[in-house]
Amino acid sequence: MTTISKAKKFESSPIVKTLHPIVSEWFFSKFKEFSEPQKYGVMNIWKRKNILISAPTGGTKTLTSFLSILNYLVILAEKEKLENKVYAIYTSPLKALSNDIHKNLIEPLEEINNLAKERGIKLQEIRVGLRTGDTTAYEKSKMSKNIPHIFITTPESLAIVLTSKNFVNAFNSVEFCIIDEIHSLGNKRGVDLSLSLERLNELSKTWPVKIGLSATIEPLEEVAKFLVGIDKKRSILIAKVPFNKKIDIEVLTPVKNLMEGGELNKNTYELLDKLIEQHKTTLIFTNTRSATERVVDKLKDKFPLRYFESNIAAHHSSLSKDHRFDIEEKLRRGELKVVVCSTSLELGIDIGFIDLVILLGSPKASSRALQRIGRAGHKLHEVAKGKFIVSDLDDLIECSVIQKEMIEGKIDNIQFPQNCLDVLSQQIFGMAISKVWDIDELLDTIRKSYCYEKLTKEDFFSVISYLSGRYNLEKDRIYSKIWYDEQEKKIGKRGKLARVIYLTNLGTIPEESFITVKLAGSFEKIGAIDEGFLGRMKRGDVFVLGGSKYVYQYTKGMNLYVRAAPNRNPTIPSWFSEVLPLSFDSALEINRFRKEMKKLFKNSKTKKQIIDFIKKFLYVNDEVAEQAYNYFYEQHNFSEIPDLDTITIEKYVDERDNKKYILVNSMYGRRVNDALSRAVAYVIGSKSRRDVEVGISDRGFYISSEEFLKKDIFDGITEKNFEDILKEAIEKTDILKKRFRHCATRSLMILRSYKGEKRNVKRQQMKTHFLITSVKKISKDFPILKEAKREVLKDLMDLENAKKVIHWIKTGKVKISEDYVKVPSPFSLNLLLQGHMDLMRIEDKQDFLKRMHKYYVQEINKKGMIDYQGDYGDLD
Amino acid sequence: MKAKYKLISKTIFFPEKGILAVGDLHLGYDRFLQEQGIIIPFNQLEQSKKDLEKTIKEISKKNKIKRIILLGDVKHFFGFQKQELFDVRDFLEFLERFVDRENIILIKGNHEKFSISGYEFQDYFIDGEIAFVHGNKNFPEIFDKRIKTIVMGHMHPAILLKDKNKIKKEKFKCFLVGDYKKKKIIVVPSFFPFIEGTEYYDKFLGEDFSIIPFKKLGNFECFIIGKEKIYNFGKLKDINKE
Repeated sequence: MTTISKAKKFESSPIVKTLHPIVSEWFFSKFKEFSEPQKYGVMNIWKRKNILISAPTGGTKTLTSFLSILNYLVILAEKEKLENKVYAIYTSPLKALSNDIHKNLIEPLEEINNLAKERGIKLQEIRVGLRTGDTTAYEKSKMSKNIPHIFITTPESLAIVLTSKNFVNAFNSVEFCIIDEIHSLGNKRGVDLSLSLERLNELSKTWPVKIGLSATIEPLEEVAKFLVGIDKKRSILIAKVPFNKKIDIEVLTPVKNLMEGGELNKNTYELLDKLIEQHKTTLIFTNTRSATERVVDKLKDKFPLRYFESNIAAHHSSLSKDHRFDIEEKLRRGELKVVVCSTSLELGIDIGFIDLVILLGSPKASSRALQRIGRAGHKLHEVAKGKFIVSDLDDLIECSVIQKEMIEGKIDNIQFPQNCLDVLSQQIFGMAISKVWDIDELLDTIRKSYCYEKLTKEDFFSVISYLSGRYNLEKDRIYSKIWYDEQEKKIGKRGKLARVIYLTNLGTIPEESFITVKLAGSFEKIGAIDEGFLGRMKRGDVFVLGGSKYVYQYTKGMNLYVRAAPNRNPTIPSWFSEVLPLSFDSALEINRFRKEMKKLFKNSKTKKQIIDFIKKFLYVNDEVAEQAYNYFYEQHNFSEIPDLDTITIEKYVDERDNKKYILVNSMYGRRVNDALSRAVAYVIGSKSRRDVEVGISDRGFYISSEEFLKKDIFDGITEKNFEDILKEAIEKTDILKKRFRHCATRSLMILRSYKGEKRNVKRQQMKTHFLITSVKKISKDFPILKEAKREVLKDLMDLENAKKVIHWIKTGKVKISEDYVKVPSPFSLNLLLQGHMDLMRIEDKQDFLKRMHKYYVQEINKKGMIDYQGDYGDLD
Repeated sequence: MKAKYKLISKTIFFPEKGILAVGDLHLGYDRFLQEQGIIIPFNQLEQSKKDLEKTIKEISKKNKIKRIILLGDVKHFFGFQKQELFDVRDFLEFLERFVDRENIILIKGNHEKFSISGYEFQDYFIDGEIAFVHGNKNFPEIFDKRIKTIVMGHMHPAILLKDKNKIKKEKFKCFLVGDYKKKKIIVVPSFFPFIEGTEYYDKFLGEDFSIIPFKKLGNFECFIIGKEKIYNFGKLKDINKE
């Protein structure tokens, strides 16, 4: 097991002693003293200790990690002992990597060089090389001759250089390896990087010291293991630099009564305007791309004299790279008054002086809220000032509770996905291209990664079978990527194209396919929808986009053509794949607040007493407390407040279409509710043999089917069978298909770059359908299908915490309280309106056909229209 | 005179003539995807042979198959592909186990732009009062007075059934049977596995997509293919009506 211990904090004097005079002179010409992170980091790195440094944003972390390395290289450079090899690798998942590096590495290096010149000290040139997806072939070839001493790269490009023939030798004695922004790697990019690091460790003659940099994050022990890997010979230090930046935050409501709404929209923009006017530079987070554009347009529209092209900008990931750089540059120069972004400016690039951060809508987790608000006053000791502006009552409660968590220092946990077989397939292919491996040695190397520590032999060999083409009965028909010699127990690459295929297709970020929505006739562009959303629509369906209603006309290529339908009701609920899920930890915190509130109402406390409690408990102002009070008061009077100990269920019939609903108030965040609702829907559907509609949100879920069930909806689900039910339940879902396509792309079953063909959405969906159907025919345990299921259950949903909830229900810790209602309770209303809908396909296709036929025969008979000629059907 | 025929699985059989007609096979779709970098661990050729053999055996219990007509688009690629040619030849050899080579009729589809030695692609095939054609192109001969029935492929008809709550939707392959220019038209679904086909009442692919104008299709009757049976669902325009 890896050894983990606390990092020692050093005083200035021993640190100064290790610094080369020039480096020391340079440092103190720029800074008065060492920062907190530097006191923890610099000496330990100098002593070649693996270290994870967790510090709030703006904590001079990047320079901390580089200072000892620069010092070491300057000492070597003076002695003319710099070799033509890579000494240090720096990797960051950021897109705007080069800007940051310029400020934190290139500039210091130039200044040190100039200083050395002034002092008459001759230094060898210390080279810095940047390699990302945008690096040109010329730059690459230059780099392979004059190897950069400090190699700056992204996780993807690191995998590439580890596989490239003429480069890999420069990497066999790397001495330092910096991983920045670890907190943003709790995903498959992180998994992929952890394997690349093990590949680096494996080919290194000496141990590359690992330096991890992270924002405020928990649990640090797990992150540390992720960074350094799993091995008894390995050890790592953790430096947890306290958050001593003051935060000044407040929840604001644009209207006095959110329940009525009133002038919500108008007031929100007026409030935004007021806040922006009071500050020099404001950064607004909106969570979604569409909202980002909308806010910029509305501000310009409503206040044309104050907001115009040159002082307001939108920043989100679908903008072009140049455009984004341009905005970041303007921000740094202080030219912009306000920037509106989705989530894109959350991560660490330096964006200059910002004195106010506004969160429009809940950030869904305390870590994310801290990260965002930390963008204000970007120096460690300045005050970070932030405002939440809420849009409805649920948002008001959520933002207030997240604010409480921030103030009280409660941070939600990061998780790294485990045993991802798609990323594993890709990396094994890459490893096989590098050299011939002994199969046991390969497995050992992989298991040193934190993300594959518990990889089973069975899963490992299923991936080997997939890659070597063993799953197919006729080998000649399929392109296999590796060979596997069972006698010799060795694997290697197969085919001349292997390297090209690997290098042009690697990566873990799925290509999100968006369909452009245009007006039929005028071809005016309205917006974009997710490809999956299109999949569930057909001609004539009415849907909502950007607040307006449209009817589906036809598709062509990657475009959907529509007609405006202002007076029709949507036939398809809106569904946004980009909405962030509420963290489980914050959801439980909301439940705790609900429990306190319930107690107060039960004990008949006065309005004033309760409002005073809210103000103290949530750190909110009178206006917010009053609204929270009213919301809970209405719910309490209506029926019952769901809380930490109670899930409330309302059974309700929509009289307009006689549709039956079971509304479940289960405040556990969308990822848990996704799992709970599908298991429940599956059990209900299996009994009635009918398909069931489910709507999922952060605060609960609804189920709509042909009939109500009288019994407890969790009947038939046990802690034991829950996972199996869920596995069955997701079998036929659209989301599994979509995730399967992503996994198939990561495992290079579908090549993104191969001979090229014009993309067409219908055809793309048809191909995926074809692929998944044929894979299922081969084996239900085909590794890539297994991985898609794991991804749905554990990354998209939160199986582990959902199991916890089932445990609470089954042991009586959480009670179910059920009621029939004429109208949904205040808390349930949004479940219906905001639920992300999906369908559980349970009824057998053939049974459905028979049922529909019976129905149609009746219809046809009614009209007396049986009028077909000839025979059909069974032969006599 | 009524044309006596049986719809059996994805095919149509004329007992009096002993003719079995099979819709678009699109052999080589699997190879086509592989060409594009999508690895399909599935053998379309073997699956198609297996499916058809089952149908042939079923028919042969009580009837004799004298002739097999492939209604065009036997292969998927528009151009020429060696591997694909291998699949088509293999499939034809498979058919030769049941009828003589001269009784295997290949109709030319829009995907056929090549030839196979020993076989000839025909624009249409006429047997008495029945014409067999792919369906993308019109020929005066098939609309001749003596023709009562036209059997065609090309359109890959399918239907998306929805229950009244609009909760469940499923797609099925189907036959479309109706009258046009005083002929009975029978559109045979594609033989292609896994992918059901195109919903016609919904879509407009251009007036010259097939020899049947789109607006006529609403009055065609829809015969859905179930696992064990074929189900009559009445007129296309009445299905899924609110």
